[in-house]
Amino acid sequence: MTDQLDEALQREYEAGFVSDIESRTFEPGLDEDVIRRISAMKEEPQWMLDWRLKAFALWQKMPEPDWAHIQYDKMDFQSISYYSAPKSMDERPKSLDEVDPELLATYEKLGIPLIEQQQLAGIAVDVVFDSVSVVTTFREKLKEQGVIFCPISDAIKEHPELVKKYLGTVVSQKDNFFAALNCAVFTDGSFVYIPKGTRCPMELSTYFRINELNTGQFERTLIIADEGSHVSYLEGCTAPQRDENQLHAAVVELVCLDNAEIKYSTVQNWYPGDENGKGGIYNFVTKRGICHDNAKISWTQVETGSAVTWKYPSCILKGDNSIGEFYSVALTRGAQQADTGTKMIHLGKNTRSTIISKGISAGKSNNSYRGLVHMGKGAKGARNFTQCDSLLIGDKCGAHTFPYVESRNPTAIVEHEATTSKVSDDQMFLCRQRGLDPEKAVSMIVNGFCKEVFKELPMEFAVEAGKLLEISLEGSVG
Amino acid sequence: MSSWLANTISEAEQVNDWLSPKRAESLALLKNTPWPNRKTEAWRYTPINVIERARFSAANDTTVQAAAIENLDSIDLVFVDGIFDAQASTDNFPEGLCITQLSEGKNCDWALDSFKKTKPNKHFFGLINDTLATSGCIIDVAAAAKIEKPIRIVQSFSAGSQSHTRILVRVGPSAKLCVVEQLQGDELCFNTSFAEYDIGEAATLEHYRLAMQCQAAISIGGSHFSLAQSAQLTSNLIGFGSQLSRVDMDIIHAGEKAISKLNVIYLLDGRELFDLHSSFEHTVAHGTSDQNIRCIVADHANAVFNGRIHIHRDAQKILASMNNRNLLMSDDAQVNTKPELEIYADDVRCAHGVTIAEIDEEAMFYLQSRGISRSDAQVMLSFGFINELVDQMPNIAIADWLRPQLRNRFANMEIR
Repeated sequence: MTDQLDEALQREYEAGFVSDIESRTFEPGLDEDVIRRISAMKEEPQWMLDWRLKAFALWQKMPEPDWAHIQYDKMDFQSISYYSAPKSMDERPKSLDEVDPELLATYEKLGIPLIEQQQLAGIAVDVVFDSVSVVTTFREKLKEQGVIFCPISDAIKEHPELVKKYLGTVVSQKDNFFAALNCAVFTDGSFVYIPKGTRCPMELSTYFRINELNTGQFERTLIIADEGSHVSYLEGCTAPQRDENQLHAAVVELVCLDNAEIKYSTVQNWYPGDENGKGGIYNFVTKRGICHDNAKISWTQVETGSAVTWKYPSCILKGDNSIGEFYSVALTRGAQQADTGTKMIHLGKNTRSTIISKGISAGKSNNSYRGLVHMGKGAKGARNFTQCDSLLIGDKCGAHTFPYVESRNPTAIVEHEATTSKVSDDQMFLCRQRGLDPEKAVSMIVNGFCKEVFKELPMEFAVEAGKLLEISLEGSVG
Repeated sequence: MSSWLANTISEAEQVNDWLSPKRAESLALLKNTPWPNRKTEAWRYTPINVIERARFSAANDTTVQAAAIENLDSIDLVFVDGIFDAQASTDNFPEGLCITQLSEGKNCDWALDSFKKTKPNKHFFGLINDTLATSGCIIDVAAAAKIEKPIRIVQSFSAGSQSHTRILVRVGPSAKLCVVEQLQGDELCFNTSFAEYDIGEAATLEHYRLAMQCQAAISIGGSHFSLAQSAQLTSNLIGFGSQLSRVDMDIIHAGEKAISKLNVIYLLDGRELFDLHSSFEHTVAHGTSDQNIRCIVADHANAVFNGRIHIHRDAQKILASMNNRNLLMSDDAQVNTKPELEIYADDVRCAHGVTIAEIDEEAMFYLQSRGISRSDAQVMLSFGFINELVDQMPNIAIADWLRPQLRNRFANMEIR
């Protein structure tokens, strides 16, 4: 079994190629000057620069957190370059015809066609390459409905009133070490605004790609769903195969006003490093949403990549009757480490939350669920259900659960359950007896194990996620 | 460093006895351990600054009497403010049982090795106990000896006292023993009380820790067990909260096929706090462990639980479960719980569950529709919630003695 496992671990990372694109990259290092230069490159107003500098001052005083169940060599923040953009982007292309063909080819290769006609109808894509947004499709069509979907750097210039009002209200500058860093140096990301009572006519999606060596990606996403609106947003990411670790420190803020609904799905496939843990992306991400009255935020994530994952998409259920959901599949293999989970902060009356977390560990990896369910004093009649299951494949991996449950209101009901097991011999026997080969059998069992989460993903992503899992598990059973 | 800690350290430097080599190790660690605060994971929900504020002394009032457990024929060891009371204690022991005072421990060749063998080093007040505990006892049960009478170690505390006690127990192979650790006193005092149990091959230990200090008392302690092959442990912990009560239960499966079971009941009222940290370490394959924690919290009380199951690499074929159920009785009460699993072996079955809720309205309605008053119904349901665990106690005398005391706690509780 172990041999076959090793074999599986040696599978190629399909998105690991490097695109040969000439880039304008800052010298490694971080100080106020770098921040001023980023801000100048983006032609930002003074208030934005002040905001960044304030975050930088706060960040310098913060210690790097070490409470997560992960081990990695601490990063040298002075050896990272904080800005890198393809040279061809110096002059912003006005249409797709002006975009560097090499860039287009990169996305072609990743299976993300940027030409609108070739796309599955109903998905608008914002494409972020290193530190800049290359193209955002269907912008005009969305505008007809009043939906704003653009790079956040454009939003700062074109919709400063919205950005000023909401930026940093969910994840503030002093929230945590990596969020503060992001506030200081964030380069691009998506901005979405759905006007009152509008149901966004298509799925919105952002595709992140790290290409340049020794850079970090610091994107920031801000989604605002105004009263009674609805939006579904997808996010995907890949990076080249390199021996050096690269940092990805993103911040995602969701503002869900009265009666609105945001569905946020992620398929994370950053380069995970080789089987000995060399290289790979350090993924330190802060994602949080706030729900006002009757609003609903649903996080769905499939985590298969990254050398280190540190990620806790959370919901602040501030409004009465609001709903938070978290569905997660985290797969680790090789020497990957994941410490992921969610926080559900119940503040309003009759708030409800559901947490379904499925962790699968194989190889020498460690997979931890870390979550918080907090029932505040005002959370009258609130309800939480949490289920976190872990599946172990092989005897060298680890699966851990660290749930924090805090209740301050007697009428709130909290239920938490967790199990850890392996693919049972009985299940395997049954499948094999019916003529399935062991590999298919495991794939089927694992798919069944994750079904509750996959069914939450939009169709295209569900297919991609299922495939990713299949590739990852190839040959992991004997 | 706080002046309290500075005083404690200088006091510890004066202690000189047969345990000095071991005490020195802990003292060195203590000097390098920062004073725990809210950011220290192990003390996240339990503020301890009250220890610094209060003044304590070793002076004691020997008139404090410990409550007897009716119908329990036991071997009694009585400590008042940490000082052994020979008169109130039993002085003849059955064959196979040897009890020595901690101060006389140099005659027990195994005791030095056993000291802080099972108690983990990470506990801040455990380190303080290591350096300062000069009273306590050493209990040795010979191989295959079946000690029928339970050993009852009673500790009572008077106002303003400070004491540190340590109990070391060795249960020989195939032997059988029952130990009851009883702690009581409502006055403001500060005590640390740690016990270490070394359970030999195929030996059986029945254990009770009755942490019944309430109100102003500050009590920090723990019972730590190491199980050799095929050893069995049944442990019952009863916790009444106080100003600050903290108990650590560590169970280490050092030999294969050991079975351990921990049942915990805690009932909190007023502004009381009870903090339980339990840890099951499965270091070898083939083991079974089970823990059930039931908790009722009323008024402004705070119930803290941190449970941990740790399955080491290659410790296959483990069956471990943890069940934590909490009943919140008032708007101002709080529950903070964290059931952890840390698993490094694949062929294991582990599960944990947590629930927090108030009494089921439908059950209340049912009882009331049968003519039972609301307050009686409430007592009935909440008592039923914990009585399940009381019923599981192997010692009937202790269970019978506990029931009215637990019921009394409800009668006084301020219920919504």
